[in-house]
Amino acid sequence: METMVQLDNVSKKFDESYAVENVSLNIKSGEFLTLLGPSGCGKTTTLRMIAGFEKPTSGSIYINGKKMDNIEPYHREVNTVFQSYSLFPHMTVFDNIAFGLKMKKVKKEEIEERVNKVLKMVQLADFGKRKPKQLSGGQQQRVAIARAIVNNPSVLLLDEPLGALDLKLRKQMQLELKHLQQELNITFIYVTHDQEEALTMSDRIVVMNAGKIEQAGTPYEIYEKPQTRFVADFIGETNIIGGNVTEIKENYAALEFGSQEVYVPNNNYQTGEKMFISVRPEKIHLHTVQQEGKISLKGRVKEKVYIGSLVKWIIDVGNGNEVKVQQSASDVEDLALDTEVFVSWNPDNSVVLKQ
Amino acid sequence: MRQRTKRILFGYSLLIFAFFYVPIIILMMFSFNDSKIGTVWTGFTFDWYVKLFSNTQMFGALQNSLYIAVITTVLATILGTMAALVFHRYNFPGKKAIDFLFYIPVVIPDIVVAVALLAIYGFLDMTLGLITAIPGHVAISISFVMFVVLARLAGLDDSLEEAAKDLGANEWQTFWRITFPLIFPGVLAGALLAFTISIDEFVISFFTTGPGSNTLPVLVYSMVRLGVSPEINALSTIMILLIVIAVLFTGRKMISPNKKGEE
Repeated sequence: METMVQLDNVSKKFDESYAVENVSLNIKSGEFLTLLGPSGCGKTTTLRMIAGFEKPTSGSIYINGKKMDNIEPYHREVNTVFQSYSLFPHMTVFDNIAFGLKMKKVKKEEIEERVNKVLKMVQLADFGKRKPKQLSGGQQQRVAIARAIVNNPSVLLLDEPLGALDLKLRKQMQLELKHLQQELNITFIYVTHDQEEALTMSDRIVVMNAGKIEQAGTPYEIYEKPQTRFVADFIGETNIIGGNVTEIKENYAALEFGSQEVYVPNNNYQTGEKMFISVRPEKIHLHTVQQEGKISLKGRVKEKVYIGSLVKWIIDVGNGNEVKVQQSASDVEDLALDTEVFVSWNPDNSVVLKQ
Repeated sequence: MRQRTKRILFGYSLLIFAFFYVPIIILMMFSFNDSKIGTVWTGFTFDWYVKLFSNTQMFGALQNSLYIAVITTVLATILGTMAALVFHRYNFPGKKAIDFLFYIPVVIPDIVVAVALLAIYGFLDMTLGLITAIPGHVAISISFVMFVVLARLAGLDDSLEEAAKDLGANEWQTFWRITFPLIFPGVLAGALLAFTISIDEFVISFFTTGPGSNTLPVLVYSMVRLGVSPEINALSTIMILLIVIAVLFTGRKMISPNKKGEE
């Protein structure tokens, strides 16, 4: 697939500090790409540079192969759905949506046809004559999306578009947006701090932290194979275990963890090397007896949280270390607090992290 | 609130309103008084109004005042609005100092502006006429327009302008289709303020107009020096009525587009 948007070593400095630092990224045509990260990580600044509201301090952005260095926002083939919707309060819903087409001097009949078509698409067919203030948050959100997609942009930029909606509506809109994207086959660049939203909707996720890209990959790769401590910690829940390599046994390296040991698949590790691994709580099992030939850490039940379909455990494995375990509710025996247990996992399910 | 406190507050409010309005009501009453001295009620008459409407000097002065006020309003509104936009949008070196300069005309005594202008005109060897009053009027009203428009701009969501540009509107289209309609109530209020400041401005007009180009306040001043004639009462009554009508009319106009937009 061809590249739609390309960021070539883009940096943005505000005053003396970098909001975005040396970001390079290729976004393919028709891709649903999410920029994910905590607030202040540079994801919104990146989006605003693509839209043209901010100028990169260095580096270049290309849209459809064209360099955007001195191109004003109104000459770019992108449209934005703003976090606060930014609907024009003095215009009706119809006029809001028609605004972009009017600016492009599209014929009146065609404007009417296209606006009515998108109004239907976002299920607001009868709301054209209303003012934005007369709509609910979810409806305003739909108008904002309609106002952007009516222009048939090559790229749609969405800046936390669902942030102001309540949980149930947000889940519904996530699916609607995903369907809309597949139907229209537009490239979506979506900014969010909600990792679950990113995992649900994206073809590819770019995790950002402190102005830099931590990792880019499919939701599966991001969740199952986090490369850095930040990504492992930010996406979902995980156990991060740090320790020195004590010995190399066949294909596995042993790592000290308190007074016990865990193993990771060996990859030219040296004895004495300090390393960090991530193990997801759902990959870990609880046993009442020691498991032979596997990782099997002795510990005591410290906390048990029942959340319907799942049970979350916190196991104290000594030396102040804890392991989070998550199991399907039907799989567990009812263990009382302070019971002696053994936590085990397959070494292949642990991921070695870059610092 | 206790009953007694309520009663005291009511009486107090009544007193304040009386202080504001009783002199005006008496002035209006005596414009219908059939006596030249004007301190004793002797009977009802429209004579002073008839006399007023046949006073060509007065109409000339009114014309002068309106002429100055209209030009002042247009200039002050345009310049004040532009200044507000600059202050709202851009950061530039010396912004704070220039911002401070805009407060000076508000607090500086009019007499200083008047004398300064007079000195400049003298230096430039200009003959005083009607238009020489305009720069002074504009100078003291620009700041007011700027403050009112700036307040409106502060309440404007900047992302609306970004949204317009994102949808293909250039700077010019963005201003006229989005920014201006949204700040218009502020611009109108600023214009109204500039107009009222100009129409009743006395000191600057007195010093910077030439002989024979009196504004209304200046003319009234020269007439009053010979004693308050009931003709002035009649003139004041008409002015009060006009202003009340204007305020009611524009007040409603100013509120309604705003309301429509924000509902």
